[in-house]
Amino acid sequence: MGDILRLVGKRLGLGVGILLIISAIIFFMVELLPGDIAQAVLGQGATPENLAALRKEMGLDQPALVRYFDWLTSAVMFDFGNSIVTGESVVDTISTRFANTLFLAAYAAVIAVPISIVLGVLVALLRNSIFDRVVNVLTLTSISSPEFFLGYILILYLAVKTGMFPAIASLSNDMTFGELLHRTFLPALTLVLVVTAHMMRMTRAAIINLLASPYIEMARLKGTPPWKVIVKHALPNAWAPIINVVALNLAYLITGVVLVEVVFVYPGIGQALVDSVSKRDFPVVQACCLIFAATFILLNLAADVGAILTNPRLRHPK
Amino acid sequence: MNVFVIIYYTLLLGGSCLAAFYNKRSAFLLLFSLTLISFILGIVGGVGALRIVATCAGLLALSAMVSYAFREFLVAIAPTNLAKELRTAPLTAGFGMFIIFTYAIAGIFAPWIAPFGEAQIISSAFAPPDETMLLGADQLGRDMFSRVIFGARNTVALALAGTVMAFLLGALAGLLAATTGGWFDQILARTSDVIMSIPSLIFALLMLSIFGGELANNTTSFWLLSIFAAVTGLLVVTAVSERSLMGWIIGLAVLAGVSTSFALGMLVIFNPSEIILILVVAVIYSPRVFRLTRAVAGNVVVMDYIEAAKLRGERTWYLIRREILPNSTAPLVAEFGLEFCFVFLLIAGLSFLGLGIQPPTADWGSMVRENATLISFGDVTPLIPAGAIALLTVAINFVVDWMLHRSSGLKG
Repeated sequence: MGDILRLVGKRLGLGVGILLIISAIIFFMVELLPGDIAQAVLGQGATPENLAALRKEMGLDQPALVRYFDWLTSAVMFDFGNSIVTGESVVDTISTRFANTLFLAAYAAVIAVPISIVLGVLVALLRNSIFDRVVNVLTLTSISSPEFFLGYILILYLAVKTGMFPAIASLSNDMTFGELLHRTFLPALTLVLVVTAHMMRMTRAAIINLLASPYIEMARLKGTPPWKVIVKHALPNAWAPIINVVALNLAYLITGVVLVEVVFVYPGIGQALVDSVSKRDFPVVQACCLIFAATFILLNLAADVGAILTNPRLRHPK
Repeated sequence: MNVFVIIYYTLLLGGSCLAAFYNKRSAFLLLFSLTLISFILGIVGGVGALRIVATCAGLLALSAMVSYAFREFLVAIAPTNLAKELRTAPLTAGFGMFIIFTYAIAGIFAPWIAPFGEAQIISSAFAPPDETMLLGADQLGRDMFSRVIFGARNTVALALAGTVMAFLLGALAGLLAATTGGWFDQILARTSDVIMSIPSLIFALLMLSIFGGELANNTTSFWLLSIFAAVTGLLVVTAVSERSLMGWIIGLAVLAGVSTSFALGMLVIFNPSEIILILVVAVIYSPRVFRLTRAVAGNVVVMDYIEAAKLRGERTWYLIRREILPNSTAPLVAEFGLEFCFVFLLIAGLSFLGLGIQPPTADWGSMVRENATLISFGDVTPLIPAGAIALLTVAINFVVDWMLHRSSGLKG
């Protein structure tokens, strides 16, 4: 047990380290701007007095390193300062949006994960059949299409032509849960299409890899029925790669969400990021990037830890 | 029951009987299951559903025929060795090559193919298609068809430039890291770990928020390009001029000249905001190329013939150029195709968000965004540029799939 904790602790430490480096990249990149944020806020025509006052107010008269640690410590306590466009607190604008994004991602994941694992295993068993080839072409097409292509096709056929689902996923507070699911179905379905394809291909590859190993061949040779080979021999060893695949794709979901949110005008954090990039609202950009990076790293970490926990050889290193 | 339905079922049943007679098991299964599905569809959806199925099957058959003919054409004109390889290509790969060929033609000869200029306003906004405008007009009254053709040039050229630069930096660093090893290898590997742990779209947005505004000017992009070229060139100089002072001096002098002229040349072809985009893409994707190259080259470096070459006293550059590179071309070429797809999708996504290629340059991603309102009227025009993006990435993926299958002997 101690071994596992130490291993997991090591991975966690590594994750925190990488997150620290990324936070430094995110912070110091803004320092590359000619002039500084105060200049960007007030524009070229600002008087030196105004600039100096604003710098003092934003703490820009401090050296960069001091400001970085200030920013980092307040970011850890979920305080990302104020937006330079609206002047409102960044956390207030982002937090509900982040919850919305998480909801959308979870919605998509709940549909996508079971479908893709079942289909992936099925395709691996039926490999090189017509079914496998057709699925291969379909998943490849779905992966290669930009998210907005899939999204607009769904809008065209499921919203505009048949009117089954709303084309714009606007949310309000007094919606029932069923209504919420109905409103957000199309963006979720877009994400499902992309992620399922990825996950299925990876599951298929993992299972095929496994089925090629000698002990499976041994089980077959001694006359074990095919379903038993899968359930008793292959599946226990397949959990590690499958958990890995799921976590990696959830991480992918978090970023794929940006484009989908813009297509469906969904009030999520991805849309906030895109808006603030075009308005050059740096505190919001920094906060969103940090949140996205942290989620991404966390999910990758979960993949690693899951792989360790399900693999006895990693659990008890020699 | 009309004539169409009778012909439809006769063809399907006749086809499946023929397939069964000649023992083509998979073709028979495909045709007969299609017949069974059509029974159900025909009852549920009527003749309309059958027509859709027939159109899809016809399109599929047509593209299969095109792919077959194009593959045979390539086999006929290619030299013997290449022809032997091409003969093994599945139809999907033939289709992919055909599409890539078409896009290349459209991109290179865009000004001659397109009936109008890319920024030329010729009619009212959102005018419907007529005999001069095949696909109608966009939101400013420019010819949609011409813009799609010009998009093949602008979008693909940008993505290609980004991929090539990412590849040069990543592959060179990977080869050098695998050959030299030690602290150099460690530093590069950890740096690439950090960059890869930021989601690519997010990192791109972050960098564009910094460099997208007034920093997208000639001077900044010139300096950034020169720095990029200098870093890439430094890797070459390190490998070529091992431990000889004279080599370093000559190498650095050549490098300064080459990187300056490279930066100037790029400035002639692209405008500053496009150069920023290319650089952003190159920075994001070079770690991925580095990872793969390092892994592939790492497998080659441990071979006996490398040991022999080292004992002969060959230098690093010779090892990379004559021993490692020829033995890792196949996976690298496949990786180039894959990276191009990722880069292409990233640039299309950024342009769709309005942060990539700037108007009035015709570009597929921003064309989708600009004409998206048409979708709510049930018009498919905005889907055409999006479909063009999807088609190219699918085509490249088909070809890459075949190459990976061939080079790795992967039996999946």
